[in-house]
Amino acid sequence: MKEIVIISGKGGTGKTSITASFAYLGGKNIVVADCDVDAADMHLLMQPDLEISEDFYSGLLAEIDQEKCIKCGKCAEVCRWDAIPVIDNKYVVQPLDCEGCGYCALVCPTDAISMNEQNVGKWFISNIKTKTKMVHAKLGVGADNSGKLVAKVKNEAKALAEKGGKNIVIVDGSPGVGCPVVSSLSGASYVVLVTEPSVSGIHDLKRVYELVKKFGIKAGCIINKADINNNKTNRIKQFLEDEKIDFIASIPYDENFTKAMTMGKTIVEFNDGKIKQILEKSWEKIKKI
Amino acid sequence: MKILLTTKGTEWDSKMDPRFGRTEFFFIYDEETEKIDIYDNRSIANEAHGAGPKTAQIMSEYNINVLITGNGPGGNAGAVVSQMGIKVFVGAGEMTVKEAFDAYKNGDLRET
Repeated sequence: MKEIVIISGKGGTGKTSITASFAYLGGKNIVVADCDVDAADMHLLMQPDLEISEDFYSGLLAEIDQEKCIKCGKCAEVCRWDAIPVIDNKYVVQPLDCEGCGYCALVCPTDAISMNEQNVGKWFISNIKTKTKMVHAKLGVGADNSGKLVAKVKNEAKALAEKGGKNIVIVDGSPGVGCPVVSSLSGASYVVLVTEPSVSGIHDLKRVYELVKKFGIKAGCIINKADINNNKTNRIKQFLEDEKIDFIASIPYDENFTKAMTMGKTIVEFNDGKIKQILEKSWEKIKKI
Repeated sequence: MKILLTTKGTEWDSKMDPRFGRTEFFFIYDEETEKIDIYDNRSIANEAHGAGPKTAQIMSEYNINVLITGNGPGGNAGAVVSQMGIKVFVGAGEMTVKEAFDAYKNGDLRET
């Protein structure tokens, strides 16, 4: 089974629009995993039914038992995050400020502080409009994505693919180069880098590729909005050549991307024109890898 | 040579785990003594962050010479592994443990 991970480094390059298009073109023969959980939006295009929904626990949160608290203030003193202010004469942990390090619980002389696993959101298995399954998640307010959650979503998607005899898992990876991206890349068979010809587009492409290289995963690149700056598009192509990254396609800037999105459609459903052809060809290349 | 393979099971015909940091098991084979040692790493699924460095730390206790995995390790774990002077071979993610070991012996795996 192949695991194809799509990442961009920079946000706003069109990664999810392109991933959703591949998911649409792959149809019922693939399983989709949305690991861009901080700002998950693939569900807007795939119409999931949330068939299975489970709570997700991650990270610790300090809680003070007011019965046991002798108000010595040692916890507040050692807290690096100033997460334990005095409210109405009580020491109270502020959940959004607490990082879960457990220092307060360690110094508390009366063992009044417990460290509890936090319910940070939900993860789902859904049936989507392309007659296949998608694994995705939704985080609560102030919760952040983690390698743990990404690994969970990917593992579930792989298990579904194995069970359903499908040979490709498409993963919408997370932005940046942090822990969730590391977890997205870990175990991938091929990486598709989606970039755009802008200063930050190139910068973040190079940055995220450093990470891909460390993992030793073969990569290809799609340059979206390629005609908004031909000079920078050429620079990207040079970079791909130098690094032996497959050049998959250039896609011209097209407002239909946004129009399709506002209608809850992928660009390949919305438009029969040039963009659809480019994406179809790209998908043919990628799935053969 | 003491060889560590990242695996999803504890037998020679188990599947490899393509991941380093979040691998389910270590399958450690000592070529001199022909003994197999297994470490169950599955509790790593509870770690929100930093799975790679944590797994690397556990690995450091086994004094291994060679690591065989699918891809990776990433940046942080990779730094630890190279400090320990361990040779890393990748591209075995889709194989069984036996196939991965044979591929390594035949020189079919890429060294990073």
